[in-house]
Amino acid sequence: MENTSSDIRQLNEKIHQASAFVDLLNMELGKVIVGQKYMVERLLIGLLAQGHVLLEGVPGLAKTLSIKSLSSAINGKFSRIQFTPDLLPADVIGTMIYNQQRNEFMVRRGPIFANFILADEINRAPAKVQSALLEAMQERQITIGDTTFKLDEPFLVLATQNPIEQEGTYMLPEAQVDRFMLKVVIGYPTKEEERHIIRQNLNPQATPEIRPVIQPSDIMEARKLVREVYMDEKIEKYIIDIVFATRNPEEYKLQKLKPLIAYGGSPRASINLALAAKAYAFMKRRGYVIPEDVRSICFDVMRHRVGLTYEAEAENVTSENILSEILNAVEVP
Amino acid sequence: MYRQKIIIRLFLCLLPGLILPGTMLAQTAPEVHAGVDTTNIRIGEQVKLRLTATIPAAQFKDIRLGFPVLPDSLDHFEVVSRSSVDTSGDDQLKVLGQTFVLTSFDSGHWDIPAMRFEVLQSNSALADSLFTLPVGIDVGTVAVDTTKAFKPIKSVVTAPWRIWDYWMEITGGMLLVLIIIGIIWFLRTRKKSIPEVPTPTVTPYELATQQLQALKAEKVWENGDIKGYYTRLTDILRTYFEHQFGIAALEQTSEELLQNIKPVTKLNQQRDKLRSILSVADLAKFAKLQPSADEHLSSMQKAEEILEWTRPKSEETSGEGVVTQEA
Repeated sequence: MENTSSDIRQLNEKIHQASAFVDLLNMELGKVIVGQKYMVERLLIGLLAQGHVLLEGVPGLAKTLSIKSLSSAINGKFSRIQFTPDLLPADVIGTMIYNQQRNEFMVRRGPIFANFILADEINRAPAKVQSALLEAMQERQITIGDTTFKLDEPFLVLATQNPIEQEGTYMLPEAQVDRFMLKVVIGYPTKEEERHIIRQNLNPQATPEIRPVIQPSDIMEARKLVREVYMDEKIEKYIIDIVFATRNPEEYKLQKLKPLIAYGGSPRASINLALAAKAYAFMKRRGYVIPEDVRSICFDVMRHRVGLTYEAEAENVTSENILSEILNAVEVP
Repeated sequence: MYRQKIIIRLFLCLLPGLILPGTMLAQTAPEVHAGVDTTNIRIGEQVKLRLTATIPAAQFKDIRLGFPVLPDSLDHFEVVSRSSVDTSGDDQLKVLGQTFVLTSFDSGHWDIPAMRFEVLQSNSALADSLFTLPVGIDVGTVAVDTTKAFKPIKSVVTAPWRIWDYWMEITGGMLLVLIIIGIIWFLRTRKKSIPEVPTPTVTPYELATQQLQALKAEKVWENGDIKGYYTRLTDILRTYFEHQFGIAALEQTSEELLQNIKPVTKLNQQRDKLRSILSVADLAKFAKLQPSADEHLSSMQKAEEILEWTRPKSEETSGEGVVTQEA
């Protein structure tokens, strides 16, 4: 059914009211997390758009603190899994153990049974463990023995990858990386932020505690509204143009990119770009998507979905460079 | 008496042979022969070996003759080339022949061995074998006077220049010249046939003004196409910025555009007006907002004011600021 202008106005007002919690959440998280607003914003987008986030950054950038704080602010259950080469799928999803007293096998649930999962250094575990986690992310359910368990909602996985020390790691295959809605690359804080961090850490009494400001059910309601955010066909076309430009750059007068791109974004990229843009619009307290929303989120949605050729790697061309070229070439509606 | 009788009997016995017609003495069986054009060659020189088989015409259809198959190398001889079997003859005799060119690199007297021809019946059954006689060839060596010193290697001898050696190059060159003349002629005549239409050039300002006037004249929003009205209005402004100030406005979002006009002082002075137009346009384009008629008029007026304010003082058409008018 097509939305009329009055429908959208009502929706806009509804979303304006419903998205007020975003400011509350940001304020609460801002108590303990200095800087890293970009990362926190992306975490919320992942949470609202029902996606998962792959985080790349050097150690010590408050990744764990961010997701732990987010979990506390939403009153969710948090779980951290440190991926190591000797980790087994059962260590992640759980297993059946034999109970001698009852003389039967019982299910022992793994750490994945939580609302917020921090999969730390996911590339350090072998493929079968990665696969177990990624399957759970996709299906949002786990099968142990003969029993299938639905995972709690909201369910957000924040996986981290360390860009340094690549020896002995298991790179996530393209098909697995595609399952992450966003790949966020975070950098160091600014000088001013770093000063705040030092002061905050040297004075433990000043470290505030995160209080729950909303409930998981509020997130579930917000997710429904995110899906209702109006997306005009012009925006849909814009999204399609961006994704198609990664596949056939020559059709967008970007012939020079053709030898640099091994493969472009999948249809899942289009879906996720649209969903993430809606979530971004929601966070900006709008009931409709504008091109800014798409552009703001585009790098995080697309950077891990554009495959580079050897030629590109030899020339030190990154997927971000390619996406910049594409965004500068595709006409904004 | 007895002696006379014997002589008479012998004479009677020989008489039929003497009086039989000449035709009765003609060839009645196939014959083969090997011949060479010379029996004396020097090392490396060639000798032609001709193998012939003569068959009575009456038998020609009934029998087939298998020529010997020579390998590439015989004893002391090498086969340089071989022809196919040819046929000649008349009503009486048919002659089949094949020529081989042989050479030898061993000095001495060597025999080309006897060659075996197979006489085959019509059902391919072997009826007989015929052999040629061996042919002796003297292969002489070059006399070397060892008492004399070695002579230097002769330099390359230049062949005499002949025009026909270069007929391909000469013909190709002439063809190339003709083709070039043809292309020049074609281009000149084509140019003449198409009348040159002077392409009108307008400044970005003029183009944008014309497009705004056209938008007004078409009464787009009056006809209910609000989205189309604002899409065209913003596109006119973005295209103008692109041509006039070199800002890639068509590929920028509203916020990016407002940021990127900052370095252009004259345009930045109209920032608020531009923001107002873009905000209303974004709402109309992406949120199905229906602005009032006043807002439509106001947006148009602001767009005209931006154009007027940023209009270059001199309308001289100097390179960058000139655009070709689209049909």
